Amino acid sequence: MCNVLSLRRFSAKFWNQRFLFLMVLPGFLIVLVFNYFPMYGIQIAFKKYSAARGIWDSHWVGFKYFVQFFKDPTALRVLKNTLLLGLYSLLWSFPTPIILALLFNELKNSIFKKVVQTISYLPHFISTVIIVGMIRTFAEREGVFNKIASWFGADPIVFLSEPGWFRTIFIGTGIWQGIGFGTILYLAALSGVDPTLHDVASIDGASRWKKVLHINWPHIKPTTIILLIFSISGILGTDFQKVLLLYNPDTYAVADVIGTYLYREGIMGARFEYTTAIGLFMSIVAFILLVSANMISRKVSETSIW
Amino acid sequence: MVGRESLGSRLFDLVNIFIMLLLCVIMLYPFLNVIAVSLSNTEHILKGDITIFPKGFNLSAYSYVLKDSFLYSGYLHSIIYAVGSTAFMLTFTSLMAYPLIIPGFMGKKFLSVFLVITMFFGGGLIPTYLLMRNLHLLDTYWVMVIPGCVSAFNVFMFRSFYQSIPSDLRESAVIDGANDIQILFKIYLPLSKPLLATFALFGIVGSWNSWFEALIYLSDENKYPLQLILRKYLFTMSFDSGTGTAAMQAMLMQMKIDPRNIQMAIVVIAMFPIMIIYPFLQKYFVKGVMIGAIKG
Repeated sequence: MCNVLSLRRFSAKFWNQRFLFLMVLPGFLIVLVFNYFPMYGIQIAFKKYSAARGIWDSHWVGFKYFVQFFKDPTALRVLKNTLLLGLYSLLWSFPTPIILALLFNELKNSIFKKVVQTISYLPHFISTVIIVGMIRTFAEREGVFNKIASWFGADPIVFLSEPGWFRTIFIGTGIWQGIGFGTILYLAALSGVDPTLHDVASIDGASRWKKVLHINWPHIKPTTIILLIFSISGILGTDFQKVLLLYNPDTYAVADVIGTYLYREGIMGARFEYTTAIGLFMSIVAFILLVSANMISRKVSETSIW
Repeated sequence: MVGRESLGSRLFDLVNIFIMLLLCVIMLYPFLNVIAVSLSNTEHILKGDITIFPKGFNLSAYSYVLKDSFLYSGYLHSIIYAVGSTAFMLTFTSLMAYPLIIPGFMGKKFLSVFLVITMFFGGGLIPTYLLMRNLHLLDTYWVMVIPGCVSAFNVFMFRSFYQSIPSDLRESAVIDGANDIQILFKIYLPLSKPLLATFALFGIVGSWNSWFEALIYLSDENKYPLQLILRKYLFTMSFDSGTGTAAMQAMLMQMKIDPRNIQMAIVVIAMFPIMIIYPFLQKYFVKGVMIGAIKG
């Protein structure tokens, strides 16, 4: 009796909210199909996938593909490259926008500041295909890079065929693309600095450097830590699309990363189970990185993303 | 400031202005150089002495590129994909976010968790590719506009924007007998115009610049977006090592066009729409990033 009543109340409430459910429905279905179905598909990492049998009915093979991956010498090379490229990128691309934001903040002429900022954002809006197309032209034997190198007396080289130059070019152009746009969040935090703090500090005889160090920097520290946590967890998620356009067999030894390896073996080579296993392994590592970076930050600085 | 500034401080200002000017040069030079090369003649391109002004002004690269029907098809498809995916994104996101602000909506908790999970876990490249294949979406327009058009991040952004709209408006509309769909379209969406504009720009630029999805999901060149046509020009037209086809080389030789001339011309053509709306674009993007940072 009681159940019937509550069921009736439940369905009445449901009926009242029918429009709300209707509004949610298309978004729900899209997320279900395009975000959750692929998660269901991850099980082929442990199966011998057969298109005829489908994902569910394919036979289990256990950790075969994971073992295969760790026994493959290419795999180790790819892991190492991913890690190094990620680490060096973090090392160079993370601090540069902070420094630029602090420099922007010291500009006194607001029109000049606005113009420089607007110009510095520009590369962020250009597609990777165009960026890499430009890099390839500049890195040619007659290109700009060689011209600059010749000022320092270097002989012309084909930069993109030199494994030793790949990371420098990748990260250097990455800074060019992201440094301007990366300042936005820091500038937003800096705009929250109370100007009277600076006035008081001046009266106390603080130099500009001291003011930056003791007023501005503490103000952007929380933003810095949050962004650092995200960057650390993204260390293995190198912009492989850019690598894919920029590398060639000459530079595979340093340039081949997980993303490009998955593309070549998985999509071009149709080794679906093997590459799904690698993908799964990498997402687990990325998740562990995120959780531990967050944990460390909570302990050290009491800032955390959740 | 009344007090005199110290010498060090003034010196720093000078250095800082110098750094800023250098920054502008580094940011702009590549673009100006590309435009200059696209407008120069082969002789100077081969010598490599072009900086930011064209030398031996010539438009033959443009007339060569503009004859290629794939260019027009690429432009058309990029527009279709950008407009299509953005329209779906705005529609489904604004619909999905609304019920999440209604007190007492039964699915609220479940949907929030359902969405948050996708922010931390995903299927990855290969399972997603297999799904598209199994759904027979490869080589269709759908695969370029539907997957990924609803993201948890966007839904949460819309939800917090809706939350900033006073709920009295909704309550009085309910008393007047309006249903939720009417309330969304007549009250909430008109008040959300700045949000819609920002996300529309995000969507359009993102889609315009993307190429990897098209590379793996499309094999029919007639459906390629502009970025893939561009990639074909930039990456298969190489002349130093003879990887370009002999016929193409011979023709270019005869026309006295250097491949770089053509490549840079098509780069200029592909950048054109973004450059035109850039001043407007960057303002909205800056605003959009701030919304995300403050509320996310």
